[in-house]
Amino acid sequence: MNVRLGSIVASLIGAMLASAWLPANAQDVLKIGVIGPMTGPGAQWGLATAGGVQIAAKEVNDKGGLKVGNKTYRVEVISYDEQYKAAVAISALQRLINQDGAKFVFGPVSSAGTLAVMDIVKQTKTIGITGAYSRKALDPSNPYMFRVYSVATDFAQPMVNWLKKNVRADLKRVAVINPNDETGWDSDKLLNDTYTKNGYTIVAKELYERSVRDYQPVLTKILAERPDIVDLGTAPPASAGLIVRQARELGYKGRFIKIGGSGPRQIIEGAGKAAAEGVINYLPADEQNPGYRRLAAEYKKMTGNEMNPLLVSWYDGAYILMAAIQSAGTVSDTDKVRQSFAKALPYKSVLGGTIRLGGKETYGIDNQFLTPNYIGIIKDGDVVTAGQAE
Amino acid sequence: MLGLSLQIVLNGVTTGLVYVLMALGFTLIFGIMRVVNFAHGELYMAAAFAIYVLNGKLGWNYVPAIVFSVAFAGLLGSVLERVLFRRVIGNEFNCMILALAVSIALQSVALIAFGPDEVGAPRPVTGVLRLGPAVIPADRLFVGGMAMLLLAAFYVFLNKTHLGLMMRAVAQDAEIAALHGIQPKLIHTAAFGIGSLLAGAAGALMAPVYTVFPYMGELPMMKAFIVVVLGGLGSLPGAVIGGLLLGIVESAFATMLGTTVAALVAFGVVVAIIAIRPEGLMGRRA
Repeated sequence: MNVRLGSIVASLIGAMLASAWLPANAQDVLKIGVIGPMTGPGAQWGLATAGGVQIAAKEVNDKGGLKVGNKTYRVEVISYDEQYKAAVAISALQRLINQDGAKFVFGPVSSAGTLAVMDIVKQTKTIGITGAYSRKALDPSNPYMFRVYSVATDFAQPMVNWLKKNVRADLKRVAVINPNDETGWDSDKLLNDTYTKNGYTIVAKELYERSVRDYQPVLTKILAERPDIVDLGTAPPASAGLIVRQARELGYKGRFIKIGGSGPRQIIEGAGKAAAEGVINYLPADEQNPGYRRLAAEYKKMTGNEMNPLLVSWYDGAYILMAAIQSAGTVSDTDKVRQSFAKALPYKSVLGGTIRLGGKETYGIDNQFLTPNYIGIIKDGDVVTAGQAE
Repeated sequence: MLGLSLQIVLNGVTTGLVYVLMALGFTLIFGIMRVVNFAHGELYMAAAFAIYVLNGKLGWNYVPAIVFSVAFAGLLGSVLERVLFRRVIGNEFNCMILALAVSIALQSVALIAFGPDEVGAPRPVTGVLRLGPAVIPADRLFVGGMAMLLLAAFYVFLNKTHLGLMMRAVAQDAEIAALHGIQPKLIHTAAFGIGSLLAGAAGALMAPVYTVFPYMGELPMMKAFIVVVLGGLGSLPGAVIGGLLLGIVESAFATMLGTTVAALVAFGVVVAIIAIRPEGLMGRRA
């Protein structure tokens, strides 16, 4: 027994000595966490989060790693599924912080998950870069939480401006449909306020449970109010596709617009080419851009799947975080890193536009990455960029 | 208002018929083997993926694709019974845990094979049928019609065929049935297969109506559970009445008060039934 104990102790001491002799850069790893919905109706958004960060990390590693001060780090991405549930997001973050030792986390993507982890992010001084749409995701009392892209609060008014200019002026009756959770409630209020302020009439506002696939009852109620425009809000793309198809089947002939989470290709997949024709989408990226095509090809090579446009923002976000870390000269002092975002931004996006840091006027704190937004229209089973939402 | 009411009933009946298909298989397996098969939803999912691959990816004609997909679910169910469930039949708790494990395993297999994305299966029927002020999507009508045909076939099978009568005998009393020369183990395999086949039929029929993804079986499974508790665990007429009732009640509440209230009402009814009439609307008292 003593012999065995002695050999274990000797092995441990040997391992410690050996690690002390190894070159420092062979051990240096920068761990970046990702929390997003990897399964279920919002999976496209979570996979875009993980995909964007992973592609950026791979590019940096392929070039030899991230140089911070006099050390070079290999970037390791650790992803967890939040299942669009607050409790799961909390578990994922605690695991990333306590077990994996990550100090920088992209996500959660869901608003409910983000609001649930706000206190943990603040108490542990973890840099969180969320994709949540809720206005409450940025809070002046929590300087550690950032947001990776502009959200509906930022682009709802520009999109309605575009609608006023480009869609028949007599189409004024709007119905809004959203999931019944923090993301949906926030979108519901925002869209109600924005449309009303711009002279539109909200004729129906409906919330549905995320697990639902049969939208006929909800749509029956909405369509009884004879809307000219149905706004799909923050419905996940696959759900939005089914909503579009089922509404068409119930005889709806008006317009669809989606001032919320993007995924026009999944809308076409769910609705079918004919039903999806003419759906107006918010786009975080211009799909015709060469940078977009390069990322889409890389993502396809990596996963075999089509890329969601949101991936572009997470890819840019990963580079912005790494630039902030380099600027701070540390991978451990997150206070220095969060202050360095002001130096890392403005940043030139892979698509060529400029990402700025802002948000003080709207959210009370300059922790919002202000990204360019586009408007896409589904035409003949494809997505055509119709302009920029300015 | 008449148009809205008619639309509510039509939505409810077409949805309810799918619930009936799911619940029939679920309650058949419970009635004969006392297995609460929580993997029933994954047999629905397996058939949906089968038709997605055969019809959508390999370009098979819809009819052979649906026949093969339904048979695949039935065969998968029989294999699961023969290899796994047979070992624990008689112990309801172990059966339940095993069913949960099978459910998670099948979901994971689908996740590895197909990924988490929701995909669309080709639609064999499109368009709508107008019924006065109300409309029925043709694909739902097709699913409803097929469900009614399957119900009728299932009724004839149980009441007019030798195998069906043997199943009913085993469901009533396995020991007495065995004394009459019926082999309960063979009946178990057949019942699990036919129950799975019904889940597969629901999955293959609904795949083009909704989207196909690894977790798509969870909600129909939950509905099947509600339906059989409502109608009475093990009662086939109860499953039919429960399914249609749930479909119409959900449709009415979801239309008038939203999907959250509809879900609340569905589970509220289950709680009330368990409290007032534990054997369900058509179930037998133990």
